[in-house]
Amino acid sequence: MHLASPARARRGIASVAAAAGIALLLAGCQAPAGEESTTPVEGGILSYASGDAEPTCLDPHVGGNYPQALIAGQFLESLVSRDADGKIIPWLATEWSASDDGLSWEFTLRDDVSFTDGTPLDAEAVKVNVEHLKDPATESSTGYLALGKVDSVEVVSDTVARFSLSAPDSALLESLSMPWLAIESPAGIARGMEENCQAPIGTGPFIVDEWVKQDHVSLVRNDDYNSPPADAKHDGKAYLDGIEWRFIPDSASRYAALQGGQVDVLDNAQPDTIAAAEKTETLAHLDAPRPGASNRIELNAGAEPFSDPAVREAFVRAVDVNDGIESLFFGSAGRSYSPLSSVESAGYSDESLFSTDLDEANRLLDEAGWNERDADGYRVKNGERLSLDFPVSTNQSIPAEQSLFEQIQATAKDAGFEVNLSLLDLSSWYGVLAQNNYDLVSAPYTKVGPDVLRILYHSDGITPAPSGYFANLSQVNNPELDDLLTRASEISDEDERASLYEDAQSIILGGFHILPLYDQQNHFLMGTHVKDARSLPTVSTPTFYDAWLDGK
Amino acid sequence: MTPGLTESNRASRSRGFRTARWLLVRLGGSIFVLWAVATLTFFAIRLIPGDPAEAVLGGPGSQASQETLDQVRRDYGLDLPLGIQYLNALGRLLSGDLGTSYALKVPVADLLGAQIGGTLILAFAALTVAWLLALALSLWSTGGGRLAASVGQGIELTSAALPHFWLATVLIAIFSSALGWLPPVSTGGVTGLILPTLTLAIPLAGFLAQVMRETLLDTLDAPFIVSARARGESPTGIRLRHALRHASLPAISLSGWALGYLISGAVVVETIFARPGLGRTLLQAVTLRDVPIVTGVVLLVALVYIVMTIATDAASRLADPRLRRAEATR
Repeated sequence: MHLASPARARRGIASVAAAAGIALLLAGCQAPAGEESTTPVEGGILSYASGDAEPTCLDPHVGGNYPQALIAGQFLESLVSRDADGKIIPWLATEWSASDDGLSWEFTLRDDVSFTDGTPLDAEAVKVNVEHLKDPATESSTGYLALGKVDSVEVVSDTVARFSLSAPDSALLESLSMPWLAIESPAGIARGMEENCQAPIGTGPFIVDEWVKQDHVSLVRNDDYNSPPADAKHDGKAYLDGIEWRFIPDSASRYAALQGGQVDVLDNAQPDTIAAAEKTETLAHLDAPRPGASNRIELNAGAEPFSDPAVREAFVRAVDVNDGIESLFFGSAGRSYSPLSSVESAGYSDESLFSTDLDEANRLLDEAGWNERDADGYRVKNGERLSLDFPVSTNQSIPAEQSLFEQIQATAKDAGFEVNLSLLDLSSWYGVLAQNNYDLVSAPYTKVGPDVLRILYHSDGITPAPSGYFANLSQVNNPELDDLLTRASEISDEDERASLYEDAQSIILGGFHILPLYDQQNHFLMGTHVKDARSLPTVSTPTFYDAWLDGK
Repeated sequence: MTPGLTESNRASRSRGFRTARWLLVRLGGSIFVLWAVATLTFFAIRLIPGDPAEAVLGGPGSQASQETLDQVRRDYGLDLPLGIQYLNALGRLLSGDLGTSYALKVPVADLLGAQIGGTLILAFAALTVAWLLALALSLWSTGGGRLAASVGQGIELTSAALPHFWLATVLIAIFSSALGWLPPVSTGGVTGLILPTLTLAIPLAGFLAQVMRETLLDTLDAPFIVSARARGESPTGIRLRHALRHASLPAISLSGWALGYLISGAVVVETIFARPGLGRTLLQAVTLRDVPIVTGVVLLVALVYIVMTIATDAASRLADPRLRRAEATR
């Protein structure tokens, strides 16, 4: 999933820094945390401040973006989950098996789980959910895409559902673990989109009580809850009475509200506030990188000048990334050298390809024919300047990342590249990409598992979707890579799958198609009185099922 | 029947006629303004890049299938030529229907009804505070000698130039982060209203105080002030009882404009202070290309603006007979 928050901090980092400066001064004066207890205490409302966009619909089947996943994880559950090692573990389904040809999967469901409206969770419910996701009227994007190979679901018995596939899908379990494919009450779905968007009905530890638009969603505890994922810390209902899920788009206000105790947890913490919070004894930091792809700059090989691999390598060699990350992210982001997130066990890194070497960059460019310079110091070939368009989404790139791009622009100039950064709102940014007017772009993509590589780097991804969107933004078009990615997506053997993905990543990195930066940043800050909150190892959304409030 | 009475009848009839004509002209103008605003908004939002069908599908960059996109375009009439879409939209507006939000799938009227309260409370609170601050500042700066005059002028100019987002961040840093006195985000109560109100009121107070001070100084030189002084009024009494009423007139007529200024400032302030309201709704709708909501908010703000302008016009006509006479001799 690639949609990100239109409400991330959009002002200059300077204004935020002013607040953080004062916060830093204060940090020294905070009283140390009191006696810590370890026995969970029941009760209390947790106040959560989301900096992501307020969802337009709480049903993650509709559309399917990260803000929806963040909140849906509190009241909806999936067939399977993933543990911290990346292994698929039981959730609403207790076991599953695939036929030898990989075209038929049987899922056995728990027989003692009900949705919060009393409807039992059964095979029929799973069938209704898959049909809901595949129905054009649902207007699903993410879930629809993930179920691309699923033709139909058949009810074998009350507790056994059979999925029929058009082709083997080694990513099926990973897809089903994502919140965009969570299982909802069929009776809830039958109410129609308008009502279901307001308050979807699931099997989760909390229930949507009220949604006050532009303000908050109230979640109350599900007292009959009995279906935690296999890696949860306890059984039975949640400890919290409920969650007040607030929407606070401004980063500085969100942090001030956490400091003042108006909220207990916040998401989308920015690097400067993370640094301030880490010096504050009463605040804790949860770093939960998103799965799928790393954050990387794609070099568009589909057009001049990056159609020449030597020019791509020259760019990668010319720019200095590490110093920028260190100074702008205050240690909150580690450099990545992989197309995949560090949470993906299939990730493959090659640091040696990404050392900065200005002399080598200059040599490569001279050899590639870009051997003249104009009055401004930029390289020229056949009267054309070595100019790169870099559209930046202000919704997807946080202020620190925008500053990093400016540093990349400055260091690229030394080698004679002119980088034209343009800051755009999300719709305009997608518009520019759809028109193919870019040489460099950074586009996050969240998905569970390494199959994200097929979406991003298979040549099929160059063909635009009906909306004009296409995922293969580096426009890699390599039959060998296509073959590796297709085989990996169909193979059932885990080791062979991993080895195919390693070869694929080696081709992507070795061809200088991308400049990896860091994991897709996903930082939460909370008061130390919030105990046992964690992020789900699926798409790294927070879960408050085990959480409790100490001393409240 | 005495001649005097006939005279007064005719006068009152023609005064009634003039008032009716005045009202009609303004009503006609208002309808024109609303039509122009609706038209401009419709075309402006369709000219910037981005497909409204994607607003329906959860935001830009949708990977929806052709089937899904077609379905949405049919459902919302987005497959029709732009001219027809415009006429359809206009027809709906004429029948009083603001349409249904693309993204939120609820009637725009319901949504705006739920959001306008928060914005109006904020705007009127800020207007009141701005008036009080401006009054205090202009009285002090005109009565405290040369130093007070130049310091007052400096404060007016500086505060009028303060951008809302900067002021908001500084107020939060001081009163929430450093002192811990006030919450940085809306709490539903009065304490959460203080910082956003100050953020909007301080720059406006700068504008209002500038206007008030100048008129106050002009008025203090007027002959009737000299005669009041001759009657033995104290300097404070003169400024409070005589000069201030005159000095307030231009500021009153500015208040209509000020309310529009405050509602547009609400976009920034509501976002920073996480307050529900029209400004935040508008920001989200523009980002998502949610045409019906954008049109609805813009029309509503235009309407508030028009009503306030007519109201301040009417108030000025009542307060200042010269305005009515000037119209009669035209």
